[in-house]
Amino acid sequence: MEATSVVQLDQTKAKDECLNLSLRPLQVSDVDDFMVWASDEKVTRFCTWEPYTNKEDGLNYIKNTVVPHPWFRAICVDDRPVGAISVSANSGNDKCRGELGYVLASKYWGKGIVTRAVKMVVDTIFVEWPHLERLEALVDVENVGSQRVLEKAGFQREGVLRKYFILKGRSRDMVMFSLLSTDYQS
Amino acid sequence: MEVDLSKITLRPFKLEDADDFLLCAGDDQVTNNLRWRTLSSKQEALDHIKDVCIPHPWRRSICIDNCSIGFISIFPFSGEEDRFKANIGYGVAVKYWGHGIATKAVKMAVPQFFADFPDVVRLEALIDAQNLGSQRVVEKTGFQKEGMLRKYAYMKGKLRDMFIYSFLSTDLPANP
Repeated sequence: MEATSVVQLDQTKAKDECLNLSLRPLQVSDVDDFMVWASDEKVTRFCTWEPYTNKEDGLNYIKNTVVPHPWFRAICVDDRPVGAISVSANSGNDKCRGELGYVLASKYWGKGIVTRAVKMVVDTIFVEWPHLERLEALVDVENVGSQRVLEKAGFQREGVLRKYFILKGRSRDMVMFSLLSTDYQS
Repeated sequence: MEVDLSKITLRPFKLEDADDFLLCAGDDQVTNNLRWRTLSSKQEALDHIKDVCIPHPWRRSICIDNCSIGFISIFPFSGEEDRFKANIGYGVAVKYWGHGIATKAVKMAVPQFFADFPDVVRLEALIDAQNLGSQRVVEKTGFQKEGMLRKYAYMKGKLRDMFIYSFLSTDLPANP
């Protein structure tokens, strides 16, 4: 009985790893797929925004925030968007630093998709942005799944920043992670 | 030089402080770890006091016998979402280093600031990993070291590793 279930688990894992994953810009025409994760309160639990309730808001977000964004990609499985990943830019003395963010439809959780997507971003962002020295990410102390993504992707945990963020009216402690361009090269 | 720390006071800047302020803000040793450009003339000092120090949300001159020998600056972040956080910076004229003046001044400033800005919950300090003197100041005044942010920002043209420290409004000792 045990041997069979182990084999089944391996087969599921192998299937997950074979998922055809790609990153591409998110367009207005993707709004229906966007609404799948953006309206899900499981997904938005650690996001500053409330779940989207209407398509018009989704269209406005894509037009006004996604399209002009310095670096925003849809995470696609078989070319259909199932989430998003982005890197924010800073200016002046802070130009060396970019912040990573990501979100994934809950149906696709637990398959290593975001870890793979983060690795894909890391493979390209330091080349596309040669001025970038540091890619950082801030994760809620309770968001263990997201912390594991970053650890598996090779980010270093730097510390817990107390009451760093206000999430839906409550102050939250956040874990700071970073990956340096020099970490990536080595 | 003997310094009586009980003579240290904090007060807003005045135009009359320009000469003294220049001794501090005109010195590369002091401004090396600050974002501001080193001032180079009395006129610049006067302009800086008028345009920056006086309108500043919370900047105080550190004084001995009412004479300015340094400054403390606490800046709440801008933007609706970040108003609950603030950043502290300070500097003392080089000739007064080594007497615990910055420590005394920061100890006085922190509770005053939280009283003046009741919405601020988190006060943070970002200190160059090599600036041991300043790290000791915040540690002695009760800031908590949270970690090292590697290659966090440029300052005066150099990419810096910075320790991040915080003092929360809830870290203040309860009123007797």
